[in-house]
Amino acid sequence: MPTIGAHGIMSRLPAGFEGRIFVRTSTVGMTYPVAQFATFPLPDNVGDFGSGAVTLMGPLDVFVCLFEYGPESSGTALFAQRGRPAVLSPNDFSPVRLRRGLLGQSGTQSFFTEAGRPFSLYAVLGSHVHRASLVPRVNALISSLTVNSTTADVPVPRPQWN
Amino acid sequence: MVALVVVSTFMVLVLGVLVAGLLRSHADILRSLHELGVGVGDPASTTHSVPSLSALDPATPSSASGLGPAPTVAGVTPTGDARAIAVDHNDGLTLLGFLSSGCATCAGFWHALQAPEALNLPDGTRVAIVTKGPDREVPSEVGALTTGRVPVVMSTEAWLDYKIPGSPFFVLVDGSTGQMIGQGVASHVGQLAELIRRAEHDRLPDRRRRRRRPSPLNGLDGPARAVAADDVLQAAGIHPGDPSLYPTSLEDVFPFGTPTESAGMPQAHADQVD
Repeated sequence: MPTIGAHGIMSRLPAGFEGRIFVRTSTVGMTYPVAQFATFPLPDNVGDFGSGAVTLMGPLDVFVCLFEYGPESSGTALFAQRGRPAVLSPNDFSPVRLRRGLLGQSGTQSFFTEAGRPFSLYAVLGSHVHRASLVPRVNALISSLTVNSTTADVPVPRPQWN
Repeated sequence: MVALVVVSTFMVLVLGVLVAGLLRSHADILRSLHELGVGVGDPASTTHSVPSLSALDPATPSSASGLGPAPTVAGVTPTGDARAIAVDHNDGLTLLGFLSSGCATCAGFWHALQAPEALNLPDGTRVAIVTKGPDREVPSEVGALTTGRVPVVMSTEAWLDYKIPGSPFFVLVDGSTGQMIGQGVASHVGQLAELIRRAEHDRLPDRRRRRRRPSPLNGLDGPARAVAADDVLQAAGIHPGDPSLYPTSLEDVFPFGTPTESAGMPQAHADQVD
């Protein structure tokens, strides 16, 4: 099972998923880690919440985004929930919860604090009609995630002289 | 006279032993080369099982069905982000180029693979470059070769998973089956194109069955796109004045309800990109 990890977020990817965990470069202000996972080829240049990617989804695809907010959001009412949702149900998904309405798709978003870090979990289903069969794939991805309390990664050994 | 004959016979015997030894040594070398996949002739005496990579002629790319399943490539980017590329969840081909930052032969492929439109790849072909991980490559050197146009993943594990013998090396994966359908070495872009052409030819019957009709709007912009869109609408029976072109409420556009785009979303990132 392939595993990716960076910036204090790790995932043991379920079958059929690919993903990226990155921090967008910025010349102004601070940016924080974003993790994106998809069951379809994920372009490199997509928006944090999947603009540029969700339009490529097929009806049986899912897209999941874990988006970290700044530390000033910690302790606020919006992020009061401790830990990510353990299991999402088909009823959590609705076309009106999409950040960008695309016909046939549906989404859900929840805010929480995990390991002291404020996050938003945003998931999109390629087809609202097929939500009963697609939501388990989202849940498999969510359960594969591990969040550390720090964004520091274990240093990787560099090439060096023997 | 007798002594001369004895000496001559002895010399002939010694030379005969030397020649036999040389022939045996030569046969051993040929057998070893064949096991490495670069042998010539038919080593009938060998019955060793040959792994798939050894079956390749490393001088040229090859294609075949059933080279085995292609695992997901997971690693890091030159900037330290994490990246995983699955190769078994789409109908198109995925070309994985296993390159190094320091190999001279790879230089041309770094440029060619990051301009895939010039390779005349089949529609929907995805290109990704895979180097060894940060334990074997210097990320800044890999980053200097990266243009951002195609994914570049640093993963020693991928090299091991795919049993890559050296760089440059290429693997072509059929996304509909998740199977490797071609792999091999290429010394220039022309050989790589030959690998892809052969693999595409091999799976052509399947592609014909599954080929999606490309959108007539692809690659168009401005008035040409508008004209093409009109043609598509008319072909679908939607002519000027059709009621569906003039929605009177949001429910006409969003039959499930109105989207709540960005409503109440906190903006913690300086450069958040939706």
